Amino acid sequence: MMDHEAYRRALLADPRSDDAELGAHRAACPECNAYTESLLRFESRLERALKLNIPVPARSLRPSRLALAASLLLALVVAGTVWLAAPRASLAADVVAHVVDEPQSWISQGPVADPKLAAVLKDAHMRLRAGAGAVSYASSCEFRGHIVPHLVVQSAAGPVTVMVLVHEAAAEQVQFDEHGYRGVIVPVAGRGSIALLMRKSDAQIKDVEDIAARVRAAIVWSP
Amino acid sequence: MKDRFGGNQKRARFQALCQSLRPDLLRFAFWLSRNRAVAEDVVQESMLRAWKAQDSLLDEAAAKPWFLTIIRREFARTFERKRFPVVDIDQLIRSEEPSLAAAEEHDLAEMRAAIFKLPDEYREPLVLQVLMGYSTAEIARELGLSGAAVLTRLFRARNQLRALCGEDTAQDPRE
Repeated sequence: MMDHEAYRRALLADPRSDDAELGAHRAACPECNAYTESLLRFESRLERALKLNIPVPARSLRPSRLALAASLLLALVVAGTVWLAAPRASLAADVVAHVVDEPQSWISQGPVADPKLAAVLKDAHMRLRAGAGAVSYASSCEFRGHIVPHLVVQSAAGPVTVMVLVHEAAAEQVQFDEHGYRGVIVPVAGRGSIALLMRKSDAQIKDVEDIAARVRAAIVWSP
Repeated sequence: MKDRFGGNQKRARFQALCQSLRPDLLRFAFWLSRNRAVAEDVVQESMLRAWKAQDSLLDEAAAKPWFLTIIRREFARTFERKRFPVVDIDQLIRSEEPSLAAAEEHDLAEMRAAIFKLPDEYREPLVLQVLMGYSTAEIARELGLSGAAVLTRLFRARNQLRALCGEDTAQDPRE
């Protein structure tokens, strides 16, 4: 027959154990039964403590009439205000969320075939000169109700995601650092903005800014 | 998860899998590292490694333990690479205060701070058991320990935790 000490020792190792010998001891021992009840209350608190809420990046908006309508309404409401001219706080978060949802984009080795790249860039009425670096991933993505080019450009510091956001105005260059990514949102006069980001493990913000300048210089806008 | 589907479907399924598991994976990485920024980095890198290695996941039902193993390895790599300085637990708790806060129950915040104070070798099996629902045998396999060693660590983890939380430990067995 198991003694109190052995029972409680086993219970502290696994309070939810359905071991028959433990069950038999508990049934026969009121003291250990009370101890079990107390320990299970503690265990319940432990479970709740471990299940803390860590916010994950919000998913980027998927196309829907509601989302599009909401975007238009929002644009109308805030048009002409200073707030519109500045990058919204959530733009960087939305960019990160979009990239988080496409982990395969970092892995593609490329290079992307010219016709495919041209088709993707056509959405933003632009082309890219060779100076930007080798493009290893190119996709036309839905982002905040618009189709935007999502590229990954290879650099000496590692792969860089570039999203051309012609519909997202930015008043000034903004750095961000969240969810394992470092990046910048660069304003482009009359053409919205460009978001660039790298994995934090690959680069410092200075690397991202240098690459941003290079990519921006390599963009040729179509009329 | 054999590639029985086209590229887009495969990608969509993998993304859905990542999306559904991410909250739990973040929690696990947080308790492992006790640092939210490190946890986010580790989970992100792990997702990339998982994507590369997805053909080794033969059964989607086993995705969670598969991801957890990748996270543990990635955390070990990160730890090696960054060589974190000696940990000041009180400073660590202060810096992660927003994550540990529990608006609904004050004693949960205290419990979380106490979990931070557990040694790594006790905290990890406890998290695997309580948060991830691992059995003793599964923890033993994941950590490369015997079943008896796992039970000893779990016993010590709760023993220390109860003392740290100011529980009445008069009836608890001693070491």
